[in-house]
Order: sequence, then structure tokens, then C-alpha cells
Amino acid sequence: MARDINTKKLKKNAFRYSKVRGETASRIRIPGGVINAKSMARIAEVAEEFGNGTIFLTNRQGVEIPGIRLEDMPAVNKAIQAIIDDSGVNQEERDKGYPASGTRNVVACPGSRLCPFGCYDTTALARKMDKMIFPNNLHVKIAFTGCSNDCGKVRMDDFGIIGMTEPQYDPNRCVGCEQCVKFCKIRSVGALSLVNGKVVRDTEKCIGCGVCVAYCPTRAWTRSRDHYFRIVIMGRTGKKNPRLAEDFVKWADEESVFRMIRNCYAYVEEYIDPGAYEGKEHIGYIVDRTGFDEFVKWVMKDVELNDKAEVASRVYWGGKHYDRSNNLM
Amino acid sequence: MRKMSENPYVPYPSEILQIIRHTDKEYTFRMRFTGEVRPGQFFEVSVPRYGEAPISVSGIGRDYVDLTIRRVGRVTSEVFEKGEGTSLLLRGPYGNGFDTSLYENGEVIVIAGGTGVSPVRGVIDALAGTKDARDKHVIVGFRSPSDMLFRDDLKRWDQALDLILTVDGAPEGYTGNIGLVTKYIPDVPIRDVKKARAVVVGPPPMMRFSVMGLLQKGFEEENIWVSQERKMCCGLGKCGHCRIGQTYVCLDGPVFNYTESKNMLD
Amino acid sequence: MGYVLSQDSFTRVLGKIGLDRRLYAPVNKVGEGRYTDVDVVRYDFISEAAEIEMEKKSDYAFKELLTPLSETLFFFTENEVKEADYDQREVLVFLRACDLHAVKRLDAIYLENGRFPDPFYKRIRDRVKFVLIGCGHSYEDCFCVSMGTNVAPEGYLFSVDLQDGSYYIDVKDQDLAPLFAAEAEAEQEVMARHVTENEVKVSVPADVPLAVYKDPLWDEYTARCINCGRCNFVCPTCTCYTMQDVFYTDNGKVGERRRVGASCMVDGYTNVAGGGQYRRTNGERMRFKVLHKIVDFRKRFGYDMCVGCGRCDQVCPEYISYANIINKVKKAAEGGAANA
Repeated sequence: MARDINTKKLKKNAFRYSKVRGETASRIRIPGGVINAKSMARIAEVAEEFGNGTIFLTNRQGVEIPGIRLEDMPAVNKAIQAIIDDSGVNQEERDKGYPASGTRNVVACPGSRLCPFGCYDTTALARKMDKMIFPNNLHVKIAFTGCSNDCGKVRMDDFGIIGMTEPQYDPNRCVGCEQCVKFCKIRSVGALSLVNGKVVRDTEKCIGCGVCVAYCPTRAWTRSRDHYFRIVIMGRTGKKNPRLAEDFVKWADEESVFRMIRNCYAYVEEYIDPGAYEGKEHIGYIVDRTGFDEFVKWVMKDVELNDKAEVASRVYWGGKHYDRSNNLM
Repeated sequence: MRKMSENPYVPYPSEILQIIRHTDKEYTFRMRFTGEVRPGQFFEVSVPRYGEAPISVSGIGRDYVDLTIRRVGRVTSEVFEKGEGTSLLLRGPYGNGFDTSLYENGEVIVIAGGTGVSPVRGVIDALAGTKDARDKHVIVGFRSPSDMLFRDDLKRWDQALDLILTVDGAPEGYTGNIGLVTKYIPDVPIRDVKKARAVVVGPPPMMRFSVMGLLQKGFEEENIWVSQERKMCCGLGKCGHCRIGQTYVCLDGPVFNYTESKNMLD
Repeated sequence: MGYVLSQDSFTRVLGKIGLDRRLYAPVNKVGEGRYTDVDVVRYDFISEAAEIEMEKKSDYAFKELLTPLSETLFFFTENEVKEADYDQREVLVFLRACDLHAVKRLDAIYLENGRFPDPFYKRIRDRVKFVLIGCGHSYEDCFCVSMGTNVAPEGYLFSVDLQDGSYYIDVKDQDLAPLFAAEAEAEQEVMARHVTENEVKVSVPADVPLAVYKDPLWDEYTARCINCGRCNFVCPTCTCYTMQDVFYTDNGKVGERRRVGASCMVDGYTNVAGGGQYRRTNGERMRFKVLHKIVDFRKRFGYDMCVGCGRCDQVCPEYISYANIINKVKKAAEGGAANA
């Protein structure tokens, strides 16, 4: 039988266009990078049954099962249904695999489930975010990281969400041992100093990483009841102008984070270059085109930030401009 | 004079009768005090808003005690701002101090280094006043000639008893002794080393090596006394900082017989 | 006499007891632990039965009432020293058997050691009464049985055990009995529960030769311990403090003297003016702490300082087991290789 494959549909269905003629790879979406062991075993089974027996772990915490014959795609879609069910990823039709691939897997560092420094449950928010934005064909990258260490490397994404805690200080429990001062200096930004035997936090300098809380031996420092977020935007890799995301909002609340990202989809739909190749354009280039103010106008629609939140009035990005110069210096 | 507060943490004011400046960094404050006190005991000198510092008694008179203070920290720097006629706040005296009667008869060596001279100054004075003072040997060491304390006393002691004054180092042209106190221990003429007594006070390494020198010379352990310096926040046996093993330096010391102190491991 | 009370009726009794007293009990502080969304159990003033954490062992000890982490002793004005005020009301402290044994250790230092009882400690201590929380089971890290502190000493007003939603009260202070009788669902014989066996067992050596102080067993902790002092701050028997004088920055003439909790593990504990320092290595500090708990204190007061609550083991970020060190000391004291 003649091999007649619609590659546009193939890609949208979360299969990879492979250089090996006749082969593809199935891309398993794992929001937050956490999957149960049973699904992991199932992936292995699919790799054994339909693939070449190997599994590729992607940079965005997904899994690709390579070496699948194009003809087997429908069977693979059936075989991965249990995995999709387990991971809770939105689907349009059962046994038909993933309905989109444009909006990339939502990445998360281990966060507060494991990490002593994680300021919130990154996995849970990544899953919640995925529920809100997927399926969608727009090329959007979102990543969550628990603290300013940014192990999730979220500054490479369109939206990077960095956890913050607002350290709460009880001077009556402070013995002035200065471990917070010391470790803030060593492991963070040096926002603390000892004045009159008690610790003073420079709120301008403090990045809300929670190192002081982790090292306080007496619980003089505790975490704020509310979790806060630093939102960094429009980081990207690529052949034109790769760059790190820059700070847009700090001390934002969870609801605002979600609303802003949802708003951003509307903004992209409005302003994406209608002729963009394969309908794919990094949001940053759209912002460059519309101007930052227009982006803010759309993104901030109906967003009611909490009192603590601070929004950048301007954002400037740097990075390498290959499109201007390929010189080393 | 001493106002007895029910609360031992409450300091009482004491007038500064005289300030004797030894070096830029070391002054003796003669404080009005009438009450029982022994050489080797210490006072907590209190400068409200700056803190307290334990200072050992360097001299005792009918209506005064001398406190020789080295300017090394926040509290002592503030103390140095004070003038005669003003007052300092004191708590104490604390600790056991020296029993000078132990050293009045027979042969005695006192070895003191730096501000370690302060706590034994009263002991040396007592020795100088005994009738067999030529059997009293005193080795006093300072870091350099400019660090010397109690210059007037040194002259007086030099007349009264066998004084060896030495410095660790000195600029060219200095004619006095140069060398650590331990260098002079072997040469001190002791007739009956089994009965001779010794007092050693100074920085920890100096004390350690001096005691070693004495033991090598044949001194009996029970005839050696030392005074320990430790961090102290209260002088009352509560704050815990000065504890060594079961011993609280502020209560059970700072003066210890060597048979005890050799088992006190920090 | 014993009584069985519902939570509501126990709260009503506490309301009456608390009319002229403050009630100080372990409380589960939601989200106030070291890590995100982790609770911590520490002491606080309460007014209702439900506030008392009856199940979990407290992470921090009751001692924060008697020896506050930060306590202002004096206020200084230009020419006056004024003692800080304090709350004069009686306090009822809810604690477990090991902690009730710890009170004796705190008293030993603050009331008995030296010539003067500590007046700041005493003025609080004189107003403190105790309520025993029974232990239905041993907790991870507990070794009270080895330390002989599993059974509460005399001297508490009443005991309380929570079982199947009911509070079982054994009243020792008969003045309080009518308050319970008025609210009780039942009057019956009640005995405070206590544990008779712990998973962790230690054996404290009767005699520790001086050689053990220099034993290489301590070297391991020079590398492992991070001298954070958490073990000291959670310990119900650690009593050390440091004086702190401050002046108010807006007016340099006025200030205060306070004392704050100190840890023999933390840098600066031994620093004398001029730069002298003892026990520079963490191994030496560990030896100093451990041997105080099981040797040095006993030599001075006749009984061990440690009450086997195990909080130090529970809080250690480096998983150093103090209980295990005791057993190593025992081996070393008996001449065996401690690490064998």
C-alpha cells in the first residue's frame, strides 16, 4: 500500500517528523515531569512493542519513544491512552493520542515536594497550568521553578514562574546567631544584617528565596502563609535572538499568574504574524512588534494583583543577536 | 558603699578614683570599693547599652579595687571614654581568687604574661611584703617593651624580690631580656623544688608551656596554681559559657590548682 | 480522681482554669516549619482543648516559657536601670513525662548552681504549674526509658490523655477536681499513660575516663556537623544564654540589656574579647555538648542532664544521632573502638 501521511497532522498529534524515512517518535506529554511508575512501565512497553527499545528523555521533561513505524501511529495512540489518563492531560478523543503539540509541555523543577528550598508545589501548578492551556497549537513555553535558584531554567521560556516566600520574622524567637545573615550572603543576595542583636531584612534586596527560613534554628524566620511568584517573560532559544527572560512581575499571586498567561494566549491570537511559518512565532517577537505597552494592556486585563506585587514599567532583553552579527565579540 | 540589690544582675555604680595609663590600650581604673575581695577574683564591668565584660582584680586597697582593662572590644572601648570622677557600673566580685596566704612562706615562682599580670598583681605585692622576699621569684613577660603594664610596680618588685622581666620581642637597641617566659624557668634558683609553689597566669599556650617547664624542673603538680580566662556572660553560674566539664570557671575558678585544671579539657 | 471529658467540656474546664491563669501548650503551627507547607509543633498560649497538639511530639520544648529565646532584663535610660516587667499570672504548662523531668534540670542550673538563684528565671518559675500529657506510644527518636524519664515525676496538677476523641483526666490537685467533676461525662479510675519501651535504646556509661574526651570518635563530627545549634535550641535541658546590650538607634542614650538563647555548637560561643576561642572544631563542640548531657552534669548534680526526648536527633539536618553517640561513648568508655 502506498505510504500517504499528512505530516501536519502527524506533528499536531504529537509525533515527531523523523529523518529516518518511515519512522516517527511518539512524544509523551508529562506536565511537571512527574509520572507514576505504572505509566513509566507502560512507556517502556510501548518502546519495546512499537519502537526500537530506547526511550529519549526530552529537555522539557517529556519522553519520546523513537523508532515507531508510521503505520503504527494509531496503535500507539491506543497503547498510550492509559498514560494520558494517568497524567491527566486534556484530550479531545480517546484512543486518538494528543490533540495538539504547539503549546509545549509545562516544565517544573522538583519544587516543594522534595526540595528543601522549593517555595511551592511546582508539580501541582505545572499540571494545573497544563489543564488550563492544553490543547493549543500556539507555540508557548511555560516553566515553573521553586525558588530563585531556577533549577527549572525557566528563564529560557516565554513565561518562567519562580517561587517566592515572604520571610516572616519574629524577633522574640531570634537569638541573633546570624546564621540567616551568613547563609543569605553565601547562598543568596545578602539582604540581611544584624542591627541591635536582631535581623533586619532589606526588602528591596530580598528575592524571597527562603534561605533564611531554612537555616534559622529557632523558627524566628518562617515562610509566609501565601506563596508568591516572580514572573519572568520572553526568554527563548533559537537562531535569531536567543535570550534570557527578564523580570516582569514580582510578589505576584497564583491567580494573577494564571490569568496573565491565559490573557497572553488571546494576545498572541490577536497579533501573531498570520504568515508565520507553520503558525509558529515566539511570543517575544510579537511583543517586539506590538510594543511592550500593548502586551501589558492585553496581559493585565482583569488581573487584580495583590498589594505586594510590583510590575515592571519597562522590560529590556539582551541576548545574542545572530540576526545582526555573528561576530564573537 | 555597695548597694545590695536583690537582683544579682543589677550592677551598682562605683566611682573612678584614678586612671593609670600603662599603654594606649591598657589602663588601670581604680574603683571605689569596700568589701571583701581577693586577688584573682573578677568583676563584671557593665556599660549599659554596650554590654558587660569580666575584668579581674589587679589591686586591692582599703577603699578601692584596681581593674586593669585592655581595650579589645565594644565594652572596653566605651570604658576607656570614661574620666576620673565619673563612675562605672559593676557586679561582683565573682570567683574564688588567690589565697595569698599559701604563698607567704617558702619558695614561690609567679609566672605571668601580658594582662595575666593583673590577676596576680595582688599576689606579687603580697610576696614583696614578706620577710623572705628573695625566695620569691617572679617572671613577667610582655609582647614588647611598649606593651608593658605596671611599670611602677615592676620597679618596686625589682627592688623587693627576684624579678625577671622579659619581652617576646623588642626593637633594636633594647637592653632588657628578650625571650618567652619559659626560657627563664630552668634558671630560677630553687633550693627545695618539692616544696616550692608556683602561680601561672597568662594566655593559654603560655600557661601550658610554663606549667610543662615547672613540672620538668621538678615542681609537684599540687604546688602549681593557674587562672583560667573564659567567656562569661553572668559570673553567676547560669549562662554556661565558662563551663569546662563539670566546672564553672566563674564559680569554681578562675583560680585552680593544677591537679584540677589538668583534667579540665575544653 | 479520674474523669472523662469531651473536647467541648474540656475546653469549658480550661476556660475556668484559665480565668486567672495562662495555659501554655504544644500547638501545631501550620506552615511554620522549616520547609514549604510543613508544620511545626511548638509551645504557645492556648484557650481551647482543640488547640493543644495531643498527638505529635513537640519539635521545640516548653522551656521557651522559663528561659525565653529572647528576654529583656533591663531597660536603660540615661541614669536609670529598670528591670523589665513580666506577666505575673500563673501559667499552666502542658508537657510530657520527659519534659517534666527536664524541669528539674533547668531548676538545677537556674536556681541551684552558684550562690544566687536567677531572679528572672525564678520570677517565672514560681508561677508555673504543670499538666502532664500522657504518652500512649513512643515516638521516633524517643529514648526516655533508657534515661529513666518515661514515668512522670510527682508535681503536676492533673494529667490528660486523648483517646478516641475523649480526654482522660487524672486530677492530682484536689482543688481542681470540682471543675472536672462538673463537666465530666464519666468519673472513673484514670492513669496517665506512659511508655515502657522505646525503639531507640541507649546505655549511658557509669564512668567516662578522660581518654574518651580525646577519643577519635569525635573527629567524625568535625566533618559531619554543620554547627547550626538546632539540637541545643530544641533541647528541653539546654540552658545557655548570651547577654546582649543594645541601644535604640533613634536615641543612643536609651537601650536595653537582654539575654538570648545560646548554643555551644554555634560559632562565637567561647569567644573572649581580643579573639581567644576554645573548641574550634565541630567535633570538639559535639564532645562538649554530649558529655555535658551524660557525664559532666551528673558529676555536678548527681543525675544525667539528658532526658531522652530525642528532639535533637529529630531536628538534625545532617542525620547525626546523639543517641548513637551515647552508645559510642559507652563503647569507648569500656575500652572498645567506638566506631567498631
